[in-house]
Amino acid sequence: MQVSLRDIRKSFGAIEVVKGLDLDVGDGEFLVLLGPSGCGKTTALRMIAGLETASAGRIYLGEQDVTDVLPKYRDIAMVFQSYALYPHMTVEDNIGYPLYLRKVDKQERAQAIREVAGKVDLTDYLDRYPRQLSGGQRQRVALARAMIRRPSLFLMDEPLSNLDAKLRGHMRTELKHLQNELGVTTIYVTHDQIEAMTLAHRVAIMKAGELQQLAPPREIYNDPANLFVAGFIGSPPMNFIEGEIAGGGFRAEGAALSCPGFSDHGKVVAGVRAEDLRVVEPNAGELQGTTYAIELTGNETLVTCQVGESLVIVKMDKDYDEKIGTAVGIALANEQVFFFDAESGTRLRPNNT
Amino acid sequence: MTADSTSSSPALPSKALPAKAQRTLFQRIFEPKDIKSLSPARLVLTYTILIFWSFVVLFPLYWLLVTSFKLPIHVSGGPVYLPFIDFEPSSHAWSYIFFDLGNDTFRPYLNSLIIAFASTVLAVLFGSMAAYALTRITYRPKIMSIAAFILILAAVVISTIAAGIPWQIGLAVGAALFVLFLLTLAKRFKRSLGNNDILFWIISQRILPPVVAVLPIYVMFQQVGLLDTHLALIIVYMAVNLPIVVWLMRDFFATIPIDLEESAELDGASRLRIFLTIVMPLAKPGLAATFLLVLILSWNEYLLALFLSTADAQTMPLLVAAQNATRGPQWWYMSVLIVIMILPVIAMTALLQRFITRGLLIGAVKG
Repeated sequence: MQVSLRDIRKSFGAIEVVKGLDLDVGDGEFLVLLGPSGCGKTTALRMIAGLETASAGRIYLGEQDVTDVLPKYRDIAMVFQSYALYPHMTVEDNIGYPLYLRKVDKQERAQAIREVAGKVDLTDYLDRYPRQLSGGQRQRVALARAMIRRPSLFLMDEPLSNLDAKLRGHMRTELKHLQNELGVTTIYVTHDQIEAMTLAHRVAIMKAGELQQLAPPREIYNDPANLFVAGFIGSPPMNFIEGEIAGGGFRAEGAALSCPGFSDHGKVVAGVRAEDLRVVEPNAGELQGTTYAIELTGNETLVTCQVGESLVIVKMDKDYDEKIGTAVGIALANEQVFFFDAESGTRLRPNNT
Repeated sequence: MTADSTSSSPALPSKALPAKAQRTLFQRIFEPKDIKSLSPARLVLTYTILIFWSFVVLFPLYWLLVTSFKLPIHVSGGPVYLPFIDFEPSSHAWSYIFFDLGNDTFRPYLNSLIIAFASTVLAVLFGSMAAYALTRITYRPKIMSIAAFILILAAVVISTIAAGIPWQIGLAVGAALFVLFLLTLAKRFKRSLGNNDILFWIISQRILPPVVAVLPIYVMFQQVGLLDTHLALIIVYMAVNLPIVVWLMRDFFATIPIDLEESAELDGASRLRIFLTIVMPLAKPGLAATFLLVLILSWNEYLLALFLSTADAQTMPLLVAAQNATRGPQWWYMSVLIVIMILPVIAMTALLQRFITRGLLIGAVKG
């Protein structure tokens, strides 16, 4: 089922938390709404679910305008961050509740419950109560309850955030697999960029109620639309150096990059990812600095260097070692440098393309 | 519980101190201890206090039971305490109440059962619905609309009574005027009340002592010809107990996570079904406690019953009071009546007690 949002807005009192969101989600697509807390992503999701009414704008499910339709008629299933299991019902009754409401007969219902419980490994827990389950199991009950009636749209509001790190990784894989298998359009809200990058067909990044960029994960990473997206995605975060572009080159303290095709610009921010840099001999390379900290993370070493006022992180292989405070040069491994306007944060692009 | 929650209170900078030292003296005195870990001296002290208090609580019940088997001479002749030792028990009072009075005992008893249970069921049903609405829906009644309603109602009453206009016409004109007001002028007034004001208004119904309201109520029921009927008492008890139900149930509903209801809504449940299949089962402990409290209040109510019933709808408290008649208080008859009056309440308490448990919401939200 396709989902379209047309300029939807939501205000609570004088505060506008969603400022005109336009979004098209394709049939069977896994779309992740990503952003820091308070960016309006959950409110947007709740408006799609019908739990909040949109202050303005229209919401379409397929061809139908559902803006003023009650949640129960929207054929949407939602997994809540808190799971929202019914504590007085067994796992079986919890999973079967949507079918019970649709008056599906008992035998058919039991059959459906078995089938969906098998998918999420809950077959042995059907007669338990939610209080007797671990966090991961509760999460799977919530998932099963959402899946059982084959809704036309899944909504998930940070469904993995209450799990421990290991389980979260596992459930992420399961989720991706299940979504692919069921082929149900899914909108997933998270503030975790790893979840967004791994799960999504496309990621919609939001900030302060506004959509920043909507693109597949690879494109978000390789071609960020603005300073916010560039800084939000990637670990370690992208390195930013403030300077200016003049005469086809970027100048900053301890940094000189050539940037052919860019016209002169006052305050700019150059962004470059840690893996696109290498530490080289002093006075070689485009940047000059001193080592500030060296961290071995296992399969690689993160070398933080002070360049002028800013700290630049360079990803080196695990054998690299150097004393702290040594003067080094930093070279660009390839030409992956992004330039942004320092004030507005918008991406600057060369004139000829 | 207390010990756990205090020791895991926000980490203070003095992390080196043992957990015990961080609690105040007050907390240490009143934290619950396992009875098995008490020293013998404290064990004796604890049990002494408990036994003393049990005695204080249970003695009146014992006295009641014993008195019901006493002859008038045992009561007036000075206190006697132990049957078969102090005095020879007699069942004269019991046979008088059950055989001589016969139907005059059973009728009020049945009346009390019907009135108390019916009014309690209705009060809990309507009261919890109101409480639920007040926790989940935001109401904004406009002050001016309320004022207009009261003014128009007053005008209708005055015009029917003073000017002799037929009440049907007065009411129709009043309703038309009020609707007209809502459609036109009401839009220009912004000041409105909120849910808390409504709640306060509801509880304010209990501020006046019932004796103030009982005469108007009497006149009302006289006018509609319902005096000395079950219906009159059921309606009045329901009305006076509604505020209590609303206030108690509101707190219970407020503890139920809204996520559960939103989830049920998306699963396809209607509002009424959410209320009946999700909210009510989870509010069971609150419902049971409220039901008991309201039942006891209705069961024991005296003043309103005194005014609104004479013979057919007479309730047990009136019958008990009637034993203090021209011949002076008949303690032995009263005791019998009170003993049989206590029984249904004890039975209900025993029945409902298992619902009054904690921790029903565990597993609802959070991992």
